[in-house]
Amino acid sequence: MQNSTQNSNKLQELKYTEILTANKLLGEKLAQQAQQEIVVLSNIITSQFNHIVEYVLRKQRLNAKVDSGDYDNIVQDSEKYANKNAVIIFWELANLVDGLQYKAESMSAEHISALINKTKQEIDFVFQNLASTPIVILNQFSTLVFNQYFLKNNQFDTIAIELNKYVSENLPKNFIIVPMDKVFAQISVNKSIDLRYYYSSKALYNIDFYKQYAAFIAPIIFSVHGKTKKALIFDCDNTLWKGIVGEDGIAGISLSTQNKNGTVFEEVHYLANQLSKEGIIVGLCSKNNDNDVLEVFEKRKDFALQEANILIKKINWQDKVSNLQAIAEELNIGIDSLVFVDDSSFEINHVNQSLPEVKTIQVPSALHNYPTLLRENLSLFYKHNQTNEDKKRVEMYKQEAVRKDEQQKYSTIEDYLYALELEISVSMNDFNSLERAAQLTQKTNQFNLTTKRYTQTDLHNLIDNQNYQLYTFGVKDKFGDYGLTGMALINISDENAEIDTFLMSCRVLGRNIETAFLSFIINDLQQINIKHIFANYFKTLKNSQVLSFYEKLNFEVIKEEADSKEYKFKTIDFSYCPIDYIKIQLL
Amino acid sequence: MEEKIKQVMASVFEIPVESIHEMSSADNIENWDSLHHMNLVVALEEEFKVSFDDEQISNLLNYQLIKLTLTELITA
Repeated sequence: MQNSTQNSNKLQELKYTEILTANKLLGEKLAQQAQQEIVVLSNIITSQFNHIVEYVLRKQRLNAKVDSGDYDNIVQDSEKYANKNAVIIFWELANLVDGLQYKAESMSAEHISALINKTKQEIDFVFQNLASTPIVILNQFSTLVFNQYFLKNNQFDTIAIELNKYVSENLPKNFIIVPMDKVFAQISVNKSIDLRYYYSSKALYNIDFYKQYAAFIAPIIFSVHGKTKKALIFDCDNTLWKGIVGEDGIAGISLSTQNKNGTVFEEVHYLANQLSKEGIIVGLCSKNNDNDVLEVFEKRKDFALQEANILIKKINWQDKVSNLQAIAEELNIGIDSLVFVDDSSFEINHVNQSLPEVKTIQVPSALHNYPTLLRENLSLFYKHNQTNEDKKRVEMYKQEAVRKDEQQKYSTIEDYLYALELEISVSMNDFNSLERAAQLTQKTNQFNLTTKRYTQTDLHNLIDNQNYQLYTFGVKDKFGDYGLTGMALINISDENAEIDTFLMSCRVLGRNIETAFLSFIINDLQQINIKHIFANYFKTLKNSQVLSFYEKLNFEVIKEEADSKEYKFKTIDFSYCPIDYIKIQLL
Repeated sequence: MEEKIKQVMASVFEIPVESIHEMSSADNIENWDSLHHMNLVVALEEEFKVSFDDEQISNLLNYQLIKLTLTELITA
């Protein structure tokens, strides 16, 4: 498979020492960024894993620092390291007691059940201790290394089955189970282990395994740091169907099981439809006559890709780089959120060179590998939690298109905003909104003043135990509901308040909603006798549009540095005047 | 081979390659503990496409022994 496993191959081909060297350089390059501390807890030795997973994360510009807990000290360490950004647990079944892989079969039923119960208790402790850690990655118990040759399950399997059942039935929300068998399947069990070190030093896995494993779990960590891709953009000819519609005609192209060579394309269409349902933007970027492509949707009843699932189309004769830039701009997402699929080496190279942030996938010439190649890359879109907003996203982008049409009917933007009948509903400390609020902190890059990433558990802790107030808001207009689209997290101490986080989804930009929301909050804080409000702007690569946001509301700059600003606002100077075309209310 | 060994040692122990010399050993390289030893063994095996047995692994405790063991394995 020439193109298949593009990413994973690169990593698999790197030697351990090459990874160590590259990792060190990446570490120096990322030193300015906030460090994400990850700790690996294990009852086996996993010492080579740390640098490998660090490398995989740093490669995507996440400044990770990975350390190990003490050997075979998972329960105690789970208490000690609960404050880390993420915890990864290697809880090896064969080492629950020394040599369990061969002793289990000789154990009495009582002994087995005592061992299971003791381990369940330990699991409970770990669940409790790590309840507020943003992300915990826990491996499924597996017997494959030792039992892969047996037709029948033995007592070692029984223990694994029982414990896995217990874990999955009691799994806290911030825990993610890694299906170990799938990791093994990618390189084989025997190529994942080094038994020499298992018997001499309790190290079971080898470098190849760690590379595979690190690449497999990395999307989980990326997804809580706003590094998940958002849009999948397809070329058309020889990418969504076999043939060139402009030459072969509507009837001449192959795109379904009913045509020769069409089946792989039908599979790709189903994958795309499904992604769209999950809230991933699917779009087209093709050099073609607009009408030809539209006619394919219209006339080919066997075309499985539904036009309703296509959110954006750039079908013209301009170069793809400009078109992809336009797509990112129109959707209000970063260019690095795009994945682009095309069959032509020319187009793929052009995009790689001009827009290296865009992930490209070239349709393999061995077409039967095409659906697999896409499937391999679906982890780029991995989301830890799927929210209602994700499922409604496609609908919302469509409403947006109608709004844009409407906008052109009005002569001034104010007229248009009046006609929209905007309504903002603010909630305070609403526990039902925490999941979405956390997701907003993780995903919002542009309209985000401080770009602090939080998980649901983080937010829960802050408003429950410390003096934080969380304001979230939803927006509606006459065309539909945008869902929960913004939030502010305020730290209250006596007469002072600090705006820890203020962010808004870009799909409601350009309506002065941010101003209405902030004024509303200031008014609310004034009511509870807050005298001073402090706020910060932390510069990132993406949030320059909010560089002067606070100035517009007459916040005073009290400190200014190259990549940050500090503000102060005296509530005594403030009198609330709502914007007349926005209805805002507290729920 | 000597240069390669030094480079492997440098990246595993996170020290500059120039600081490694003929007399470098577990006694004078601070990071050279049992975990780093395992990392060193893995890295050497990968770099020189060899596989050490248990006895060789426990012998690889200084630069000269590493060189000697590798020479034996490669010319054998």
